[in-house]
Amino acid sequence: MAATAIKIVPEMNSDPAAKPVQPAAAASVQGLNKRFGKTTVLENISFDVAEGEALVLLGASGSGKTTILRIIAGLEQPYTGKVILHGKDVTELPARERGVGVIFQSYALFPKMNVEKNIGYGLRIRRRPRKEIKNTVKELLSLVQLQEHRKKYPSQLSGGQQQRVAIARTLAYKPEVLLFDEPFGALDAQTRVHLRREIRALLKKVNVPAIFITHDQEEALELGDRIAVINTGHIEQIGTPEEIYNYPATEYVATFLGAANIVDGVCRTNKVEACGGSFPTDLDPNRFSEGQPIKIAFRPEDVILSKSDQLPEGHCRLAQGYVEEINFAGAFERVTVRLEDNLSQSSSDTPFYLTTQTPENQPSKPIIAMRAKPEARALKLKRRDRIVVGLTSFTVLPISTRGREESK
Amino acid sequence: MRHVRGFDIVRPLSIGMLIFMMLPLVFLPLLSIFIFGTSKGLPSFWAALTAPEAIFALKLSMATSFWATVFNVVFGLFASYVLSRHDFYGRNALIVTISLPTAIPTAVAGFALLLLWGPYGILGRLMSPHGYNIMFTAGAIILANIFVTFPLAFGVIKPVFDTMSRSLEEASATIGATRWQTFWHVTLPSLRGAIVSGALLTFARAVGEFGSTILVSGNLAGRTQTAPLYIFAKFNEGQIEAANAIAIVLALFSFLIFSVLFFAREWLDVD
Repeated sequence: MAATAIKIVPEMNSDPAAKPVQPAAAASVQGLNKRFGKTTVLENISFDVAEGEALVLLGASGSGKTTILRIIAGLEQPYTGKVILHGKDVTELPARERGVGVIFQSYALFPKMNVEKNIGYGLRIRRRPRKEIKNTVKELLSLVQLQEHRKKYPSQLSGGQQQRVAIARTLAYKPEVLLFDEPFGALDAQTRVHLRREIRALLKKVNVPAIFITHDQEEALELGDRIAVINTGHIEQIGTPEEIYNYPATEYVATFLGAANIVDGVCRTNKVEACGGSFPTDLDPNRFSEGQPIKIAFRPEDVILSKSDQLPEGHCRLAQGYVEEINFAGAFERVTVRLEDNLSQSSSDTPFYLTTQTPENQPSKPIIAMRAKPEARALKLKRRDRIVVGLTSFTVLPISTRGREESK
Repeated sequence: MRHVRGFDIVRPLSIGMLIFMMLPLVFLPLLSIFIFGTSKGLPSFWAALTAPEAIFALKLSMATSFWATVFNVVFGLFASYVLSRHDFYGRNALIVTISLPTAIPTAVAGFALLLLWGPYGILGRLMSPHGYNIMFTAGAIILANIFVTFPLAFGVIKPVFDTMSRSLEEASATIGATRWQTFWHVTLPSLRGAIVSGALLTFARAVGEFGSTILVSGNLAGRTQTAPLYIFAKFNEGQIEAANAIAIVLALFSFLIFSVLFFAREWLDVD
């Protein structure tokens, strides 16, 4: 369950000094459930965000991540569960009394107010002295570097500038937490990358906890101190980008965040078997039992290809196969390898290359290997080369239940 | 047929045809008001215009239209807010009902008001013992104006409400604004253009109202006679110049409102 995934996080922290054990989270949600009619939208969502930390809720559209954000903001009510901001239970408070800063996907800047007025809005409605408003607005304008645009209207600003106004507008009233709803969805690819870094730097400066929601895995990896992968209303896994990427807990996480090869296997004592090979690994006996079918996930860059059976130290042999396709992918070379399963190999007398065109005769599904340039140069491959496939690291995944076990 | 070069006969022909068709239907009637009204010289035009009854009729028209406009704009705002922000059973029925008065013949509208408020009407019977009788007063004219222009402001404001992004109001709420502050600072400014055009439309329509007004006002010169009723009365009395002078004023007035609506759209919506 989602709760077990959360418990693992402190243990997984590679560097505990960087993120000390937090006494009280700046923002946390506990056991959120939400239904619309009969459909369950959220199921037992719990997580904490520390002071100054950036958490990314990553999920496909319709996964419920926006609903989580709206519940924290007070724009929607959970069915059960709590929202706690700096130790205070705000679940029953209306949006305007929560003091959260929401940066909407379309920024929602007030079109009839100029930049200054937009930024000062939070203070004006709080009836702060004019002088204080003026000074705060001035400070924020310089923080987001929009001094020369302060008299412009939102429609006269670029997407990135509008976003900075939106952030400054929320910072003006010192929000408990910043919530970013698909913050880069409306921008072109280049601006996105640029703004991501800008926001990251800005957040470090203001030290306000932030929750981002996005469906873009690249964005999640770059923005988040931690990532929570949301799938159909529950948290699949929560952890640092390294943990999530290197040790995915479920097949969904493995395939949603980056590319992953998945092959079927079976558990044995102190090893797993897959594709006719077997690899030693330490498995949690609580989670995996002898003979249990499992899946093995590995990243394309964790695949090593060799023409001989001699694999470098620290690699385990997965199977034999042949090269089906080689694509040039810029910095990498992408090799599609068709594995030869023991079963299908024995049942077929025809040479493998004659059968490759008919899908029903294909021995097994292909896997993808990514090879960096030096590696590709050291061992030049061409189509139909027979090769041995090895792995530098892999993850053993249970088939349907949620849980995790990583191995090397 | 496509003419790449040279003269395309269809173009001037079609434009000319359009203008020719509009000539007897629109242009000439309007033109004749001005030609006839000023044919006896400006002094007599001026005298007709400044006759006390004429001035009274114009003032009454403006005043009753003004109050009807104020009511219908405020009501239209409120109705738009309710009908665009809340979904409830019977919402569409309510929208259709609000829009209905424009489709009802104005004479029928006036008649209906008489039946309700008149001496034998349900509300009329309730109120006349207390000395209140709204029919055949300026109040009746306002009621008639409200009825016939009921959906106009609503019809202009509601679509703007519908297309206005909810996230603006949500943003305002998360920033800490109350509902009233949000309405005042965020929603209302975005509706400014719609409110002004809705008001102008309502006002223009109310000033010209005749069918319902003649039934509910009693058409008493100097007391409940609006400008269109004055035109009608003077025409019946054979005082064509008197009718014509007011007709010119009303025509110019509607030109003015129409030009504002037409040319100021952009100005009304400036950021």
